[in-house]
Amino acid sequence: MSSVPVEMKDSAMSTSKWLDAHYDPVANLYTFSSCITLADLHGDGENKLVVGDLGTGTGNMKLKVYRGTGLLSENTLLDLPTGLVSFLMDQHEPRTPAIAVASGPFIYIYKNLRPYFKFTLPTLEVNPLEQDVWSQARGDMIDPLTLKEMLESIRDKADIPLSVRSLRFLILEPQEMESYVNLYKEQPIRRQVVLSYSHTHMCKQLYNYYMHRDPKENMADDDAVSCLVIGTESQDVYILDPEAFTILSKMSLPSVPTLMDVNGQFDIEFRIIVACRNGNIYILRRDSQKPKYCIELSSHPVGLVRMGKNVVVGCAQETMQSFTQKGKKLWTTYLPAPVTTMALLELPARGFQAILVALANCEVHVYRDKNVVSTIKTPDVVTSICFGRYGREEGTLIMTTKGGGLIVKILKRTAVFDDRDSISGPPIAQSIRLNVPKKTKLYVDQTMRERENAVAMHRAFQMDLSRLRLAAARAYVKALESSLTPMSASLTEPLKMNAVVQGLGPSFKLTLNIQNTAACRPVMNLVISFLFDENLYSMRTAFFKIPLLVPGLNYLIDTFVECLSDKGISDIIKVFVLREGKSTPLLTAHINMPVSEGLALS
Amino acid sequence: MEVTLSMDPLFLAWSYFRRRKFQKCSDLCTKVLEDNPFDQAAWSLKTRALTEMVYIDEVEVDQEGIAEIMLDESAIAQVARPGTSLRLPGTSQGGGPTPAIRPVTQSGRPITGFVRPSTQSGRPGTMEQAIRTPRTANTARPVTSASGRFVRLGTASMLTHQDGPFINMSRLNLAKYAQKPNLSKALFEYIFHHENDVKNALDLAALATEHAQFKDWWWKVQLGKCYYRLGLYREAEKQFRSALSHQEFVDTYLYLAKVYQRLDQPITALNLFKQGLDHFPGEVTLLTGIARIHEEMNNITSATEYYKDVLKQDNTNVEAIACIGSNHFYTDQPEIALRFYRRLLQMGVYNCQLYNNLGLCCFYAQQYDMTLSSFERALALVSSDDEQADIWYNIGHVAVGIGDLTLAYQCFKLALAFNNDNAEAYNNLAVLELRKGRIEQAKAFLQTAASLSPHMYEPHFNFSVLSDKVGDLQSSYVAAQKSEDAFPEHVDTQKMLKTLRQHFAVL
Repeated sequence: MSSVPVEMKDSAMSTSKWLDAHYDPVANLYTFSSCITLADLHGDGENKLVVGDLGTGTGNMKLKVYRGTGLLSENTLLDLPTGLVSFLMDQHEPRTPAIAVASGPFIYIYKNLRPYFKFTLPTLEVNPLEQDVWSQARGDMIDPLTLKEMLESIRDKADIPLSVRSLRFLILEPQEMESYVNLYKEQPIRRQVVLSYSHTHMCKQLYNYYMHRDPKENMADDDAVSCLVIGTESQDVYILDPEAFTILSKMSLPSVPTLMDVNGQFDIEFRIIVACRNGNIYILRRDSQKPKYCIELSSHPVGLVRMGKNVVVGCAQETMQSFTQKGKKLWTTYLPAPVTTMALLELPARGFQAILVALANCEVHVYRDKNVVSTIKTPDVVTSICFGRYGREEGTLIMTTKGGGLIVKILKRTAVFDDRDSISGPPIAQSIRLNVPKKTKLYVDQTMRERENAVAMHRAFQMDLSRLRLAAARAYVKALESSLTPMSASLTEPLKMNAVVQGLGPSFKLTLNIQNTAACRPVMNLVISFLFDENLYSMRTAFFKIPLLVPGLNYLIDTFVECLSDKGISDIIKVFVLREGKSTPLLTAHINMPVSEGLALS
Repeated sequence: MEVTLSMDPLFLAWSYFRRRKFQKCSDLCTKVLEDNPFDQAAWSLKTRALTEMVYIDEVEVDQEGIAEIMLDESAIAQVARPGTSLRLPGTSQGGGPTPAIRPVTQSGRPITGFVRPSTQSGRPGTMEQAIRTPRTANTARPVTSASGRFVRLGTASMLTHQDGPFINMSRLNLAKYAQKPNLSKALFEYIFHHENDVKNALDLAALATEHAQFKDWWWKVQLGKCYYRLGLYREAEKQFRSALSHQEFVDTYLYLAKVYQRLDQPITALNLFKQGLDHFPGEVTLLTGIARIHEEMNNITSATEYYKDVLKQDNTNVEAIACIGSNHFYTDQPEIALRFYRRLLQMGVYNCQLYNNLGLCCFYAQQYDMTLSSFERALALVSSDDEQADIWYNIGHVAVGIGDLTLAYQCFKLALAFNNDNAEAYNNLAVLELRKGRIEQAKAFLQTAASLSPHMYEPHFNFSVLSDKVGDLQSSYVAAQKSEDAFPEHVDTQKMLKTLRQHFAVL
């Protein structure tokens, strides 16, 4: 931010509600809001930051725990984490929460930062055709390429989707296929609930599945034991028992869930708000297996936050919309840039709730209803955001950036968010005066002249115009006859050429861009010839054929020219495109050669 | 005849020299030297005559070579503060005209009304761009510093004389000449300008300034010039500063300002010019220097102010008149621009560029009867293909203005026939083709225009519109983004991007 003018910084400092606690631009943290949480892992009253780091996307996935500004521990993850929550799984004292990390078809539970349990999602029915094909591969009856073709046809037609193994096989390069088949053909195929990979992990919407904790039993406060709620790629939502890890309930959705919010108690009443990949938001309740309400959005949801009884959704269309839990729309606000992620800002001590919206223009806005109450400028685009108690500080904002940076800011205790309404009255643009130059006296005089001599002026102009038309037509015909123009006028070979010279000399590279501008007819049997002063330049091939020209494509043809003179003079080289067997060129380009500077130096 | 023969040949040579007949002067001196090889007066006069033949004004010639532009190691801040650097083209503070109204050069600066070295070149963004641009003798575009203009204008040393060079540099005892102040100055200029041998010139100057006990400002200026040529700008600055402390001199100010411009410190250069103006109030060259810097920094309003000051001192300054004229033209006051160009015509400037400008001004000021005759005259005065292309291009504009699209089409094609690299003509031709419904042709032309001059936003925007019409939203979006890069404030591009984004976001 070194280039920010001084005045701007000053005003921002004086009104800022945030203290800069920590900024590490090279923290090497690549994650999203679903994989970041704050939890008191050791029961010592100090909250730690737990992050599921996506690493490079193919490797180096880690579960990282930060305390203060330093890294406390690192655990390697086997697969990309798609969700991370901390939750209380039992009533034992001290009350230390467990961490659940979702990746692939598994949920790994960590306690005291040690692996504790691995939950495997139930398997699904495998397509019999697919099983057939793989069994053939096991018997070495088909080669990998045939296998690929058959799997592709199954993928396109069958109702039951392919397993992860087949899908991964289909994206392999031909040379890798053989070893892949040998490695996996002996194992039975299983189709697990979850697809293992999301290759576009940088793109926000594509999470494979989501987890959320859900306050359980009769205690509604933060100390309660929680259930895990899981959304899967098979369009289901599961609720897991936290102690036995059995499926308590299963609900199905019309599409794949991407964002989720849960509140309520399992035994009494709860609501699960799920934003799905088809652009709809579904609201599930305890007593129904199917969604109760559906909100249809006009564009894809990229952020979902529940604020009290309302749902606030950030959409891909640079808007933020609010709905009631019954699906009634409350308001829409337009944002200055696309949303990257959203989170809830909650200060229970002050009874304050707001929405944090990270935008693609390197800003984080704090919204209270429709109104912006604070704006934070960040040095990079924020990809994940989390607000809560960190260490012993209540109002801490934690952000990670696209470049892997970690930003920690603390909300000033004196900060007041005043709820001013959005600006009313006419827009500012209305009062800006346009810089229209004044009518000069000269202009008025000239218009007088024009008015008085209108007829004479018109006649003179028309006569000049006719003369000019004639001159232009003559020059044009001359240019056409000698095909001077760099685009051919003939209807059978509509060609276009331009030439570029590169180099400092004495060797130059001539690049000709030739394009056939016809709609569908290719042009063939063309040759190129050059005309130049042989005392000045030499060319290895001054005459050559060019290949068939497919319409619409730009053909680059390179050739080399050597400058022979050391006098610092230059000349024009003419390029002709000719049809084979004819001497009149189709088109000509003149290349103004630059002065050769190589020889002049030596 | 008897009388002339008896006239002292040295006096005659001197007279020739004063009448700027340098060849005759040199020949006569050669004869004198043949009789008496140790005649110092004749020797000195001959060196001066030879120097004058190839003399170029060091102050005006300023051309950054590719090496200086691309391999600049002194750049510390990659992103300079707005208004402090010449390298940052897009920082307009003077509220100057947008690229929609006033065309810009490759580096994003508005074009000026007066072509001088470095106005057209700008600083190419990439090596690829720097190497690709045509660097011909008649386009003032990047050249390598060591050769380029110095070689072209001062080729004397390269042409061989039948009886060897006048002064053999390798056998010259510089230390001996440095002792003789009356000979050393002429010799220095000869080495510097005629031989173009900066290293030896520097040696001589160093010896001479030592002999003068570091008190002669002239030698310090010469040392500074040598250092400047060698690219040692900080050393050059030191010498010029020291020379200024001995003797206030306009030339020294100009040299020093040149050093600061090369060091990319326009604000320091401006301050220096103002300092110079305190000592030499109303000095035209200093005022022009200020105006040029303002112009290069995109502050057209202040530049115009200073050009007006120049005109108050010297009302025949072509550069000032042309710049003010073009500024009026592009700020929608063609009738005033017309006045300025007419003034140039009265002063005896008689070339195709002027008539071309007059024609355009007449057209936009609605003085139709003189428009086309001006263009006709401009066509008659054309001296190169490039100029002809420009004039046909402008006639094409007039034709578009009166709605004669056939004529416009012919004119743009003619512009291309004369200059294959005319990106503007390609762009306009594409628009005409698009109107005719020939989409493939239009597409090809727009692509060519975009590749020829990536700094123009028009081809990108037109391509975006075309692709949008055809239904290829992805290409349209990519092109619109390129257009936004070239001209961020362009409203139509913003609208285009907005609708496209909406298209993409809606389910």
